[in-house]
Amino acid sequence: MKPRPPIVRRMVNGVVSGLAAASALMGLLALAWIFVGVLSRGVGALNVDFFTRLPNPPGIPGGGLANAIVGTLAMTGLATLLAVPVGMMAGVFLSEFGQKSRLADHSRFAANVLMGMPSIIIGVFVYAILVLPRGKFSGYAGALSLGIIMLPVVARTAEDMLRLLPNTLREAGLALGAPTWKVTLAILFRAAKPGLLTGILLAVARVSGETAPLLFTALNSPYWESSLAGPTPNLTVTIFNFAMSPYPDWQQMAWGASLLITCGVLALNLTARFFLGEKHS
Amino acid sequence: MKTTTMAFPYPVALDQSLALETAVPAAYAAAPVGAKIIARQVNFFYGEHQALFENDMEIHRHKVTAIIGPSGCGKSTHIRIYNRIYELYGEQRASGEILLDGENILDPAMDVMELRRRVGMIFQKPTPFPMSVFENVAFGLKLHYKLSKGEMADRVEEALSKAALWDEAKDILRQPGTALSGGQQQRLCIARALAVEPEVLLMDEPTSAIDPIATAKIEELINSLKSKYTIVIVTHNMQQAARVSDFTAFFYQGRIVEFGDTQKIFTNPANKKTEEYITGRFG
Amino acid sequence: MADLVLPETPTKTQTWRQGDVIFRWLSRGCAFLVPALIGGIFLALLIYSLPAIKKFGVGFLVSPEWNPVTQEFGAASSIFGTVISTLIAMLLAVPLSLAIAFFLVELAPPAVSRVVSTLIELLAAIPSIIFGMWGLFVFAPFLQTHVQPWLASTLGFLPLFQGPPMGIGIMSAGIILAFMILPFICAIARDVFLLVPRTIRESAFGMGATTWEVMYKVMIPYGLVGLIGAVFLGLGRALGETMAITFVIGNSHRISASLFAAGNSIASTLANEFAEATEPMYVSSLIALGLVLFLITYLVQILAQFLLRRLYRSWSAGL
Repeated sequence: MKPRPPIVRRMVNGVVSGLAAASALMGLLALAWIFVGVLSRGVGALNVDFFTRLPNPPGIPGGGLANAIVGTLAMTGLATLLAVPVGMMAGVFLSEFGQKSRLADHSRFAANVLMGMPSIIIGVFVYAILVLPRGKFSGYAGALSLGIIMLPVVARTAEDMLRLLPNTLREAGLALGAPTWKVTLAILFRAAKPGLLTGILLAVARVSGETAPLLFTALNSPYWESSLAGPTPNLTVTIFNFAMSPYPDWQQMAWGASLLITCGVLALNLTARFFLGEKHS
Repeated sequence: MKTTTMAFPYPVALDQSLALETAVPAAYAAAPVGAKIIARQVNFFYGEHQALFENDMEIHRHKVTAIIGPSGCGKSTHIRIYNRIYELYGEQRASGEILLDGENILDPAMDVMELRRRVGMIFQKPTPFPMSVFENVAFGLKLHYKLSKGEMADRVEEALSKAALWDEAKDILRQPGTALSGGQQQRLCIARALAVEPEVLLMDEPTSAIDPIATAKIEELINSLKSKYTIVIVTHNMQQAARVSDFTAFFYQGRIVEFGDTQKIFTNPANKKTEEYITGRFG
Repeated sequence: MADLVLPETPTKTQTWRQGDVIFRWLSRGCAFLVPALIGGIFLALLIYSLPAIKKFGVGFLVSPEWNPVTQEFGAASSIFGTVISTLIAMLLAVPLSLAIAFFLVELAPPAVSRVVSTLIELLAAIPSIIFGMWGLFVFAPFLQTHVQPWLASTLGFLPLFQGPPMGIGIMSAGIILAFMILPFICAIARDVFLLVPRTIRESAFGMGATTWEVMYKVMIPYGLVGLIGAVFLGLGRALGETMAITFVIGNSHRISASLFAAGNSIASTLANEFAEATEPMYVSSLIALGLVLFLITYLVQILAQFLLRRLYRSWSAGL
């Protein structure tokens, strides 16, 4: 038997390890490149006007994206209000009542599929059921598509977090004579609170940066809109429109909005991590 | 060979073989004085697998009954029928009769939530709820009774005193239940159960997860509680059973092999298997 | 303290029982909503794409035509673009992710590993449109001035690298897509490797294996199921990625062999053209494209579940 020379094996190990380290470095460089790129181009656009004024026609300096900021917040908020209760209850079913249920299996599989569904398809869906029949775009449609995207994430997180809880907790609650709904709401949810909040925060972060589902549901608007019943201004579609436009000052605004969204999303993510991290320590 | 082994309060007839058929003697089928719970021909199944075979048992009022036996003999399974906590799991079911003060608790018409108020349970691992010490004890109270804030505070204090935890807990009522030590947490669980004025306390190896000093405190507590409550304690610690209980039941492979006065069981067991277990030859 | 007596109150169990029933049905309904949504999406897409399906038939899938003027539409160029950009992304991202996971689990000191892991996961959080912006204004020009000319001069004999270097196009779309799916695959791969029991790792090291050999011969096979899952997750994400691709792929409906060329993906076509499509057949064709993407995504999911289940079974049988 001819043994492989150890020097070769060590060399291979060295080379591969070097490549691995280089890959990690490359990943970090990419992150830095992106973040610095966004930061340097966007920071110039973020002034007081940006947060308080409406967009100006191209060529006229000043102006801001105040309406878009409010619109994004409003639609994201509404989407959260829709998705969280429904998602939590679905997660409760999957974890508490759905051990042997076929509905639970189908629901879990469907949640996985929905999570992997391109967000633009969800936008097309909501367009078909809400925009086409009524003949108009609306912020409600936009919020609905965002909510549909959030739903499976909240549901699976809720199921996973509830499943982690020991059965003795359930038994202890039931043993005092409490009904199942009270055990779930008063005890289990409280026990799983950090994980649940983290899941919700991450879902909100994901959805606040979404563009595609809003393209043909909420559309966009350059004005202050008093309700969500019509086209609703929002940051992401604005970025899309402004970036594709040939006007440098609009492109500049698009960068500002990009920076704002990036910072917001990163902040939400770090907060969520902090939550979960806190509980673990 | 069929003989009866269950009797009140001393073992009546003895069977040296292991496969015992236990039958309730006609004499005390007529609910004798002193029996809080009477189990008759109780079988229990995990899905297709039978875990308890024709259990006949008597739990006496205001006494401590210990249930001992090797791992997997069915002792926890048995007491978990008394508050129907097994119903949380779909594929588990029980048959037979269990009379609590004459009412069959396995009857579907039985009010399970009221049953669970009357029959409280303490688990092996302390399970404080994710809320403050005060809210833990108040949880059961809020479930079953409508009380003013003042009354609630009084009840909580009373329950914590009964569980010998008031002095240690009175300054930290608002802290989370999980901030207490293991032994304190278990007494918190006892206080929680006591708050709703149960009649029976089921304790499933209540001290196996706690340090010896805390264990001693809880054993003392059990002693002081038995004048008001009926207590059933499952334990794998025979010394504990001998210290704490008035009656002892020895379970083996899902059957009740011997039941009787604790002193008698431990000094002069009638059944060979019991003797082997007690002297540590197995289990 | 004298014993307090608790007041007599009627049991609440009747209302509680009803509460439990309501609670169960409510949670059941919410759980049902998820598959109902999938079904609803499928139905809606199907209904609205029927006109296009009726007109073009199965040929829709292979026709490279896309002409809003003559109202002749075909999905071939979109499917081509979707597949090619996804392929490039997977070819780049999978090895890189595994390499980074290897680094994080075996090579890096724990503190470094934690920090780098967090940073990689933050990369995953960056929204698609930000990648699009960066791709269009930073990365594509970079490719155009520094990378593509070099490729053209060295490998230009390959049809892959012919044509004018424009920066935007299939190549930059594929690379940016790789950046986007890399953190997903990497995070899962890292978790999979961390789950390998210490004893198995230690016995492999104990036999004198190098770090790489332990990874290659022990940890990867052990975690194969999870790694396949990770790859499929990345695949699904890549197929459906919209905004990043829309910015840089160039939005051309021509099929070309060159990576420098512009193209389109199903998602980018929808994003770019949906708002302007007015004629019913145009809209229907676009929705038909959406239906194709839906089915592709669905099939990938089914394949993933099926594969994972089979692997699990053979795994536990082997144990």
